[in-house]
Amino acid sequence: MLDRRTLALVTLALVGGALSGTAQAAPKKVTGYGNLGITDGKPGGTYTLVLGDSPQSLNYYGVIDNNLGLIAQQLFDGLVEFNYATYKVEPALAESWTVSPDGKTYTFKLRQGAKWSDGQPVTADDVVFTYEQIIMNPEARAGDAANFKLDGKQVEVKKVNPSTVQFVLPRPSPAFLLQMRSFVMPKHKLVKFSQEGGAKAADINNAWPSNVSPSEVVGTGPFKLASYTPGQKVTLTKNPNYWKVDGKGTQLPYLNQLEFLIIRDPQAQVAQFLAGNVDQLNITGAQFPDLKGREVAGAPFKVMRSTALFGSPPFVAYNFDAKDAALAKVFGDVRFRRAMQSALNRERIIDTVYNGLAGLPGHGVAPVNKEWYANTTKQLGAFDLKAAGAALDALGLKDTNGDGIREISRGKNLEFDLTYATDSSVYPAIATIIQNDFAKAGVKVNLKGILAKNLLSTGQSGDWEMILHAFGDQPDPELRKPIWQPGGALYYWHRSLQPAQDGGTPNMARMAPWERQVYTIFNDAATTTDRSKRKALYTRWQLLFAQNLPVTPLAKPENIGAISNKYGNYIYNLGVIPGYNPVPLIYQK
Amino acid sequence: MLTYTLRRLLGMIPTLLVISAVCFTVIKLQPGSFTDQYLEDPRFTRETAAAISRQLGLDQPAIVQYGRWVWGVITRFDFGYSFLQNRPVVSVIGDLLGWTVFISLITLLFTWIIAVPLGLYTAFNRHGFAASVANFLGYVGLAIPDFLAALLLVALVLQFGGTNVGGLFSPDYIDAPWSWARVLDLLNHLWIPVLAIGLEGVAGLMRQMRASTLDVLSQDYIRTARAKGLPQNRVIWHHAVRNAINPLITLAGLSLPTLISGTIIISIVLNLPTIGPLLYDSLVNKDQYTALTLLMLSAFLLLVGNLLADLALAWADPRVRYG
Repeated sequence: MLDRRTLALVTLALVGGALSGTAQAAPKKVTGYGNLGITDGKPGGTYTLVLGDSPQSLNYYGVIDNNLGLIAQQLFDGLVEFNYATYKVEPALAESWTVSPDGKTYTFKLRQGAKWSDGQPVTADDVVFTYEQIIMNPEARAGDAANFKLDGKQVEVKKVNPSTVQFVLPRPSPAFLLQMRSFVMPKHKLVKFSQEGGAKAADINNAWPSNVSPSEVVGTGPFKLASYTPGQKVTLTKNPNYWKVDGKGTQLPYLNQLEFLIIRDPQAQVAQFLAGNVDQLNITGAQFPDLKGREVAGAPFKVMRSTALFGSPPFVAYNFDAKDAALAKVFGDVRFRRAMQSALNRERIIDTVYNGLAGLPGHGVAPVNKEWYANTTKQLGAFDLKAAGAALDALGLKDTNGDGIREISRGKNLEFDLTYATDSSVYPAIATIIQNDFAKAGVKVNLKGILAKNLLSTGQSGDWEMILHAFGDQPDPELRKPIWQPGGALYYWHRSLQPAQDGGTPNMARMAPWERQVYTIFNDAATTTDRSKRKALYTRWQLLFAQNLPVTPLAKPENIGAISNKYGNYIYNLGVIPGYNPVPLIYQK
Repeated sequence: MLTYTLRRLLGMIPTLLVISAVCFTVIKLQPGSFTDQYLEDPRFTRETAAAISRQLGLDQPAIVQYGRWVWGVITRFDFGYSFLQNRPVVSVIGDLLGWTVFISLITLLFTWIIAVPLGLYTAFNRHGFAASVANFLGYVGLAIPDFLAALLLVALVLQFGGTNVGGLFSPDYIDAPWSWARVLDLLNHLWIPVLAIGLEGVAGLMRQMRASTLDVLSQDYIRTARAKGLPQNRVIWHHAVRNAINPLITLAGLSLPTLISGTIIISIVLNLPTIGPLLYDSLVNKDQYTALTLLMLSAFLLLVGNLLADLALAWADPRVRYG
């Protein structure tokens, strides 16, 4: 009952109604996940997970580090969070919120009686401090200052009263609510590292180094830091002040203790899982058959597949600004990109590289994202080398000297490099499949392997011809604007569009007509508060994407997790996604 | 002898300086920058990259960065700041040094205790069946890389339902206070890395010991000793072994730097908290001061190991004297 009322309130608030909510009882009741197999658990137990490496610090905003992110997720909360089933935004540390009719003022009412793990109350001061002094601080290494400047103007954060905070935006921004998933930090512990406390702006990065005393690290999350043994283990214990309860009113988390073993090697992680030292492990499609086989043979764990909203679907891109002018001209031609799409054997990639644990990709939006996805499956086409050949013939790219390779001009073969990551479990196999099939269509591809961590910087350097890469799907396309809006910082396959200065207007003159349309769509959608109008805009974008293929998406991998039978209420742990943390529901049977 | 030692120690300083300059240059010559690794993260913008570079001093010319580092080392014994760990390099290395030295010493001890007697045995019983078996096993040990041996041992342990498949402790004992149960748990885990790392060393050392013993056995003074009618035991232990062990002393000195670089892969595979993977990480991520400090430590250990070997030789071999 209470839950439904809160939801209704949120929905109203989202539509833009300036409705001030009556205060509900403080704890948040987590119910309504019956369809995900969630039941009422019982308190107690220890749950062990892995970390791929030691956390570099315990200050979430001081280092960009996924290992820290996994821990921070258990220690801190944002004002809002995702629903586990629908990915809709719902209350977290903020009990309710309202958006002014002009879409520019967001007012959050903090959860009554919420406390930090050391017993101090969570107040509006903490929220203002977190956003003003840390997140919007351009010197904070893992801050997010750029997202709090709209059209060059700063978002303002104001304390209205001890339990109410207001964000005033220079212009409407419907996706702004998603930014409110950022973790809120305790002012009373961190003020001495901030400018407000007299320190230098960059000093915030030095707060909470990895050898900090655990009692200093204070949060609102389900767990609190108990100890850290360098290179080996991080231990968290239950936060007695956590603000969530289950359907019966039992306080969450159920678990007494959460442990992270630091294990770098994926094989060693699996070995530890098989030995029973690790209770849950996210695995890849390549590891699936072995573990599934053991499960079927009676091993005490289950391997679960779940279709993914988050996660990176790999794509191939052609460099519109390739150094070789002839290649650049061909790559910039949509007929070429479409022809090559018919030479991409997605089915084979899904079957052999992902062991069948992947689906067809969307165009910038995951198919499972019901909120925004427009069905573009038809535009993906089918694998048809003959059709690809015919389309290339029609472009005048023919094999005139009979060596099996088409000529791009007299005496010059249609031949280019495919840059991919060698240290990935999927890219090398995908690259080989592409090379093979393209060769059958008379296009010669030379494989050029680099390290995965250099893929993006290589992409942005412009020193490549064809690239195999992946960017993550997010619940709202607005969050991926720098990738998909022509001229965006990550729209690197057409670098000549990028503005001379960051934040400037991109080079509109060099945009293809469809790119100009996409550019306008993203600008409009960023400020359109009417949900159905935004949906229409993003649908149009996806269709333009599918027809013009700025990049060609290949597959959408599923999430696969293995979990010991000792535990109940498992939902696939997405990894470092602020505002999505199903661990408090896990219980030991 | 003392002047000799002092002269050698002083001579290390310019050597180390040159090595540091070379190492720093090589680190800098790697393509990319420290901030590249973050680019895949949606939270990372170009402004952030610029801010981080400025904060870490990476926007300065390389020569300035190097100069500052050397100056810090000389004046404050400050080996710089680890970009990856957000703390001084010295404390990062310090965290892992204890276990690294411990594991290395145990393995070294294991290697010598097994290899030296085995080498002697195979030398004295060249054509025996047992010696052939030992030799064969030695070859196998040499041929199998340590990480592969470790993986095989782990697979074996898993097969028999064991849980000690990596790390130095079971999860419950990692941060427990010392107790007999914890020591037992440590021993239960320790045998895998010791066996895996040691096996390779055993084979090499055994061959070395065998060869130098055979060499010595054919020398005139052994025949003289035998002809004099000295008992076999005295011939072996007093004359043969003492001389045969000389090359091993040099080898032992040279093995000091393996403290750092010798266990990279096996430490990753077995998840051991040693320095090896730190070196690997710092090189891959361009965490330049950590990499530089570790390379310097490695070079320093090599020089010290050489010196110690020379001194030990002088002590063990009356023919070697330093003025």
